[in-house]
Parts: sequence; structure tokens; C-alpha cells
Amino acid sequence: MSGRHSGEAPTHTVEGTDPRLFVQVHEPQDAAIGNRPVLLIHGFSSSSALNWEATGWVAALLGAGRRVITVDLPGHGRSAAPDDCDSYSPSRIRADLLQIVTDAGARPLMSGDSSSGLDVIGYSLGSRLAWEFGATQPELVHRLVLGGPNSADPLADFDLSAAQQHLADGTPIQDVSTAGLLRMAQLLPSNNIFALLSLVEAIKSEPFDAAEAVPHMPMLLVAGDQDERAVTLPVLASIATAAGTAVKELLIPGRNHTNVLTNRAFKQAAIEFLAP
Amino acid sequence: MAELTFPLPDLGEGLIEATVLEWLVAPGDQVERNQPLVEVETSKSAVELPSPQAGKVLRIHGEPGQSISVGQPLIVFDVPDDSAGIVGTVPKDEAPKRRVRLSAVLDED
Amino acid sequence: MTETTYAQSATGAEVHTTHIQEPRVLSMQQALNTALDEILASNTKALVFGEDVGHLGGVFRVTDGLQAKHGSSRVFDTPLAESGILGLAAGLAMAGFTPLPEVQFDGFAYPAINQIVCQIARLNYRSRGTMPMPITLRVPSFGGIRAPEHHGESLEALFAHVPGLKVVSPADPHQAYHLLRYAAASPDPVIFMEPKARYWQKAPVEAAPGDDLAGARIARHGRHLTLVAWGAMVARCLQVAELAAEDGIDVEVLDLRWLSPIDGVTLAESVGRTRRAVVVHEAPLTSGLGAEVAQLITASCFDTLRSPVERVTGFDVPYPSGDLEDEYVPNVDRILYGIQRVLEYKRG
Repeated sequence: MSGRHSGEAPTHTVEGTDPRLFVQVHEPQDAAIGNRPVLLIHGFSSSSALNWEATGWVAALLGAGRRVITVDLPGHGRSAAPDDCDSYSPSRIRADLLQIVTDAGARPLMSGDSSSGLDVIGYSLGSRLAWEFGATQPELVHRLVLGGPNSADPLADFDLSAAQQHLADGTPIQDVSTAGLLRMAQLLPSNNIFALLSLVEAIKSEPFDAAEAVPHMPMLLVAGDQDERAVTLPVLASIATAAGTAVKELLIPGRNHTNVLTNRAFKQAAIEFLAP
Repeated sequence: MAELTFPLPDLGEGLIEATVLEWLVAPGDQVERNQPLVEVETSKSAVELPSPQAGKVLRIHGEPGQSISVGQPLIVFDVPDDSAGIVGTVPKDEAPKRRVRLSAVLDED
Repeated sequence: MTETTYAQSATGAEVHTTHIQEPRVLSMQQALNTALDEILASNTKALVFGEDVGHLGGVFRVTDGLQAKHGSSRVFDTPLAESGILGLAAGLAMAGFTPLPEVQFDGFAYPAINQIVCQIARLNYRSRGTMPMPITLRVPSFGGIRAPEHHGESLEALFAHVPGLKVVSPADPHQAYHLLRYAAASPDPVIFMEPKARYWQKAPVEAAPGDDLAGARIARHGRHLTLVAWGAMVARCLQVAELAAEDGIDVEVLDLRWLSPIDGVTLAESVGRTRRAVVVHEAPLTSGLGAEVAQLITASCFDTLRSPVERVTGFDVPYPSGDLEDEYVPNVDRILYGIQRVLEYKRG
């Protein structure tokens, strides 16, 4: 494990370029030796600060003695917003995440060693990335918690040209989902709208196909029962169950896609599910 | 005992109000500094507010579903009149321990 | 409990005189709070302002309840800008008000040095006496509460060096109550250094000051040696005097109170009797106020002094945070060593 004072954090390039992603490793106060780190992947148009810190997730995990790795996705939060579309493709992001967690000290799973491996918590778009990351990194990922998950990425159906037209001259967007996603992205003045549209474009070229690669480590699927973006949670659960994966499901009453994040039952269930 | 009221803090991004989702503490609870107090939702996100100080909760403002404006009272603590400020700790007034002894022959001329 | 009389001040402000009538046991926080309350009630031109002094009631509760009682136009919060707080104080004083600003911690006064030194201290001089600056700047000062950097510093030598400023520090609740009222009634700017380590200890506050508030006071009478101190170090020196008595040494403790102007008469009278002196302060040694005190004693008592004046002080380093402050602030042993050095001194 790389300790807190073990020197300068290594920086590595992936495929020859530095993604300039903003990464933070949060150390618990009573460093429970032997706990594997937890990677948090935030949702579209959010950031680690909004998705995980302001909602109390980082504090709750630190309080449970877990070491937490947060990363802002490209074009989000304090990460760079490159001009090229390739920087935003899910496959490229997964490669960057693998390099980041390795640099942060995550090591392949070894049976009987609770410090080995990595737990991953994703939310919304972050759940899609976590699903794929778990499916492609079985020797690293120990368990998954997927919040507000969707069996088909709503960003794949995003009407990009309508959004660009709307941004250019105000033409109303016909598609309800597209209009809603763009409104969400524009709510935060700090968002780089054009970087987010690059992400959408990259996702459209690599749409989510949950059945194509299914994670085999145990997973917990969580959503608010008012979450219109996660109504396909049971579909994901059945895909995973059919592949032999142990799946737990949790619906939080009265909560939607935005406000389920602060819920204590959600956090407590995740902490217990990931307990070493 | 004295009452110490904390208003809904500025949540940034130009937000002027928030809706209470769920209180995580109740009147009578003794809370620690940074302990989560309440979940609130703004037009942009949900936020868990940590306690700005340790103390006993006297009153809370806002039922779940009610909105509170930034600057309006959120929670009232019951604190000892002489409790320390936000910075530092109250020094203990204890008898000093000495190691040094004085020795002198004083001429009183 | 309080009595009100009415008078007309020179500036035209309606002035009522209210003060406590019978002894009360108060902490220094409460004593200062009571004094501020009375000042606001009696002087309609008095204003209390600073960071968190209004709604919150101050980080040390000194202004607790004053905004609710006197209104947010007379007790108000300012932005986090000390230069603005003191600039505002200067302007309000020009306009005939009696400002009682607070700088939240000693180390936060540095950004306001320009306003304090270049404006407040000399506007009366510059205007040939037409612009008095009746400002009382309250500064929670000195160390002792395990606070972070900039929250434990001793700035008295900086301020005492500036012509036009008065500097005072109370040692206990009684002194705090009466000196704050005295300072607020002064036509001159006063830097009022509150020893934050002593905020919580309770002691009786008498209705009458008991002595001339303009000078120093003898906190404990003794025959063999004078300990000179101010602020939080007065209480420590009183502890040391008790310990010295166990060894047969009768120590006098002189609470200087005013650090500018220094009461040289009381110093000379005390050390003239005891013939030995040790000055104690938390501030660093070099160019600290102890040097000024030592010279005043030497000039008046040179013929009778049995030993050079000793200084027991903080070290010439930035004030340390947290637990290290126990090593920095003079403790009873270091003060006893200082006394022993004076007692052992042999001429020749």
C-alpha cells in the first residue's frame, strides 16, 4: 500500500496521454490496517464533491475506517476538459480508472487478504462504468455497489444535434429526456457544457450493453423508489443473476434520482455490504 | 445555559433555499462537531449538513418537505454559558506542579 | 441591580450612566458582556461590530445577546476584513460615534495595522485635536487555549510602540469590567487586549473600581521581590507567589494593566521597596515590553536594586500551536528560576 507520506504520488500516462483527472485519496483517521480501498465514481453532470462529499458519503466511509479514492470524470469537477472526443469514451475512462486505483495502492485480490482488491461504488453513469469495470477487472474488484443504475444508458438516446441546436439558437428540444439532461447539466454554472456533450457523443459510440460483459463479484443495487431513471434496476438484477452473480437489491422509499444520495439507509447498506 | 442558533448556510451555486429531506438528529440529542445533522435538497442536488459544533440539540426548524431560506434558523443548540468558542479549548484551572525550589539568604539591610 | 442616571455628553450623544450596584461573581466573558451592555445602554453613539459579534454573539460569547437587545444597527457583523473593520471605526469616530470594534483574534490584527497605525493613532494629532478617535478595539489576545496559528499571539509591544495609542490588558473579571468601561469613556484610541485564557474563570466584580484605573495596581503585596506582569500572566505570577512563600520568599505581584502609557510611578514605588524585580510576559524576549519595564525600573531604582532586572518570556520564535504552547508560555518553574537568578545575584 502506498502510505500517506510515502512520497510524491506517481503520475502515469495511459496510451501516451495524461488524462489530467482530479484524484483524491481520503485516509481514515483511525487507519484500520487491512481494509481494501473504495473507489467512488460519480454521475453525469456531477463531481466527486457534489456526488460524494456534500452528500456525506466520504465522511461515512472514512468513519467506517475505509480508505476512499475519488476521481472527477473528464470534463467534470476539477478534472481537465480535453477537446478530443476519445478522452471521454467509457473504455478510455475505464483504463484511466485502472491506472488511478493502481497508483493509489489497490492490488489484485488475494484470498484471505482483506487489504487486497478494490470495492467500487458508482452512481448513475458511474454505476454503468462500475459495472463494466467490475466485469473487465475480476481479479481486482471485490464487490460493487451500484446506485441509481439503468440497464440502458439514457445518455445513449440523447439527441445531440437537438441539444447543439438549442445551445446555438434556443430551438426547443422535443425529446423530454434530452431536454431534462441538458437542463440538469446547465443548472451548475461550473459545468463545461461542451465537454459534457463530448462525453455524450463518446457514450453514443460505446453504448451500454449490460449483458455483453457481466460482473461476477457480488453486487448491491440501490435506487429510490421514485427514481424514474432507475426503473430498469430489476432488469440489471436479472441479467446479473442469470450470469450466476450474487445480487442484492434495495429500494429506498420516497426518494428520487437526486435525493436518494444523502439517504442514511443507502450509505449504511453499502458500508455493511462492503464490510471486509 | 445559552442558546446558540445556526442558520441554513450558503450552499453555493447561487442557491437561496433548500428543502428538508430528513433530520438525522432530534431535540435532546447530544451531537459531536461534524456529525451529520440533516439531509436537505436544493434545486440542484441533495446535501448532508454536518454539525458546526458539539452540543445538545434544543430545537430543529423545518419538517421533511418544508423549505428553508439561506440564513433562516436551522437548528438551535443548548450550550454552557462559558463553553469555548469555535476555536481552541477551555483551559483547566488546576493547581500548578512545581519542580523548582528557591534558596536564598536574604540580607534585610 | 443597575441604576441609571442621565447626563449630556460633549458630543451631544445622550449618555446614561448605568453600572452594577452590588458585587457579582462573573466570568471575564460575562463581565465584559455586562460592561458592553451598559456602555451600549448608556451611550447612544456606542457601536459594537466585528466578525461574528452580532448573530452568533462572538466566538467567546462576549457579545452574546447584545444584538437582540440593542438591535442590529448598533451591534453588527462585518465581512472578514480587519482593514475594513478598523477603517470603518475611524470613519465612525470622525462622524461622532464611539466605536467598539472587535478583531476576533490577536493574529488577525495584522491586516489592520495600516488603519490602526497610520489613521486611528494619529488622526487627532494630524487634525490639531479636532478629530478625537474614541475607539476601543477589543482583541482577544495571548495564548493558552490550544488554538491554531494566529490565535495565541502577544502584540502589546507592537501597539505600545505607536504614539497615539493606549494599550491595556485586564487580568481578572473585576479589572475587565471596569477597564472596559474606562477605555470606552476615553477620548483616545485604546487597544483592549483580553487574555483569552482567563475568559472562563469566575471572580467577584465589585461595583467600585477600588483604585485609580489609569495606572498599575498591586495584585499581591510582598517584601522581597516584585513580579511585573499583565493579562493572563498575572494569575500565573500569583500562583508563583504562593509557591515562593512556601520557601520563605515574600513576592509582590504588580499588575501593570496599562502597557501604554506605563505607570512608572507605581513600578518605582514597588521595586523601591522590594529592590528586586522579574518581568514576565508571553511575547518573545527580544524587543518585548519587558525591556521597556526593566529600563524604567533601572532608571528609578538603580541605587537600591540588588540585581539586574530579569525577564521570563516566550521565545524568539513564531507562537507554536497546540500542545507546544506549554513549552512556550512561561510556566511556574521558569518564573521560579527567574526569581532564583535574581536572589542569587552577587555584586562585584
